[in-house]
Amino acid sequence: MAAAIAAVAMASGPSAFQVTEGVSDREVVVGMSAPFKGASRSLGIELYRGSMAYLNEVNRTGGIHGRKISVKVYDDGYQPDLAVKNTLKLMLEDKVFLLFDYVGTPTVTRVLPLLKKYDNLHFRLFTAFTGAQPHREPPYDRLAVNLRASYLQETEGLVTNFLGVGRSRIAVLYQADAYGRSGWVGVRAALAARNQKMVGEATYARGTKFTDSLDRQVAILQEVNPDAIVLIGAYEACAAFIRDARKAGLNVPIANVSFVGSESMLQLLRAASAADGKDYSANLVNSQVVPSYESAWIPVVKEYSALMDKYRAAPPPGLWDADYQPLVRSFVSLEGFINAKLLVEVLKRLGAQPSRSRVAAAVASIQNLELGMGRPVSFIADRNQGSDAIYYTTVEDGRFVEIRDWKGWRK
Amino acid sequence: MFGIFLLFGVIASSTSALCVYTVDRQLSAEYVANSRAIAQSIANSSMDIILNRDPSTLQSLIDQFKEIQGIKYIYIVDERGDMLAHTFVPGVPKEIMAGGQQLTGRTVERRLPGFGDFVEVSSPILDGVVGAVHVGMDKGLIALKIQTAIGQQVYLISTIFIISVVAAFVLVNLAAYPLGRLCGYAMQLAAPDVPPAMTPDEVQALLERNDEVGQLARLVRHFAMRSAPVEGT
Repeated sequence: MAAAIAAVAMASGPSAFQVTEGVSDREVVVGMSAPFKGASRSLGIELYRGSMAYLNEVNRTGGIHGRKISVKVYDDGYQPDLAVKNTLKLMLEDKVFLLFDYVGTPTVTRVLPLLKKYDNLHFRLFTAFTGAQPHREPPYDRLAVNLRASYLQETEGLVTNFLGVGRSRIAVLYQADAYGRSGWVGVRAALAARNQKMVGEATYARGTKFTDSLDRQVAILQEVNPDAIVLIGAYEACAAFIRDARKAGLNVPIANVSFVGSESMLQLLRAASAADGKDYSANLVNSQVVPSYESAWIPVVKEYSALMDKYRAAPPPGLWDADYQPLVRSFVSLEGFINAKLLVEVLKRLGAQPSRSRVAAAVASIQNLELGMGRPVSFIADRNQGSDAIYYTTVEDGRFVEIRDWKGWRK
Repeated sequence: MFGIFLLFGVIASSTSALCVYTVDRQLSAEYVANSRAIAQSIANSSMDIILNRDPSTLQSLIDQFKEIQGIKYIYIVDERGDMLAHTFVPGVPKEIMAGGQQLTGRTVERRLPGFGDFVEVSSPILDGVVGAVHVGMDKGLIALKIQTAIGQQVYLISTIFIISVVAAFVLVNLAAYPLGRLCGYAMQLAAPDVPPAMTPDEVQALLERNDEVGQLARLVRHFAMRSAPVEGT
């Protein structure tokens, strides 16, 4: 590993180093645009908190090559237009070193052309919190560095497992935008590979709140009598759908993908369960791209738990509503934590004189890197995704536990 | 008075009918033309996406057009008529899912229960061999614009009518008042035994007028003065 680091650091020779935007003698600044307010705020806040738990520790122990890492943050409210404006600001005004921890498919898909436009500045979108395909495929794949598994992989896994327990009538509820379409494509492709079709589909508008009714969507899907429903959405809307489905007697397993924000969804369902005297958290499956934060024997979880407790990173000042209660642990903050570990590793490999143009080479040099997940991370040629790990969880005793045997989900 | 109201009614209803016809025709033509341009634009820019990229990029593309006023829905089907991307919430209407998607350019009127009435414009992608784009324009918006235009027109005509009535009343009064005074003056001269209805100042003011009423008043006084000695002898 040391040889790889040295090779990347020296690739362009010491004399080639010039002052790089976003890097000073004492600091490396990365830029983040994510929802910190609105119906999806938990995703941005928790991702940030997880990353900062690790970065705070790195900074406390001297930083990387003597530089501390700071994150310049803007709220985009999960709105594509705002994400574009924020990105322009980060790239051209703040002149950050790279873009980090972006949240959402509709936002990221609109930002990608900006990276292409300013290709000469060598910006990279690092560990976006989305499993969509646009930044995993040409022409944008070389402009992004992904760690998490894709939605195609998550939905493929969910469909395979449901079919394996005899649940072949699969329906989908998805957010009416690029994110929802990504998941919809995944479910459709997984079913098509087995000569099956989804039995029904319904949509909801981005920004739907938990207080909104999703009865119409429930009615549409109830009509097709599904064996299982896959949701491609964010926590408020998904929790609202689960509540309304259970109220309507639609008790089939309901699955969510990793983007949903599992703990935030569960919080809402718990509150609704208490109010209605009905358990809305039963029969749920959530796919995850990081291990469970309950698995204390996994090294990265142990490290994450210790640093989350130590730093209790606050959401970015001025960017969050006072009524938001940070989550003690969550899959989202754990993902942010692991993202930060990868970022730090890449900065280490860039050496004492980092430049944007060498980020891709530094990432490509990562082979079998152990970030503590128990599954090494590698970036193989022509594939800008480090991990394929997917974990399936369900709610037991009010918390998410890993599903080890799908037989219990048999129809 | 009834005649005035009748005339006003005829003017208001005929101009409103003309307004409905004109606005409906022009707005419909404009929206259809815009929708066709949007459908063609999406068709042109989506062929590469459909052939080389994944549907989430396609979805991102059509989501941007959905914000245009009057465009209620957009959907793209492949050459088999299967849905690739759409903007329907809470789901694709059964009438559209039922199939029979046209892969040629056309304009049809659609009624989608729960959604409304639409004019749908289609544009083929690569002459239909890749699929087609369908853009639905909200007819309710046109109806709303017509209602707004008619409302504004009726409001304008009503305002003009009220102002006209008030102005006519004032003008008639302005003309009738001195005539009334003249009449009173004549009566006063004709019946000197009756207590006068006008004060000497008022009579003086009437006689000093420079208009026809003043001339008539002076004429009446002249004849009264000429006839007075004859009656007295």
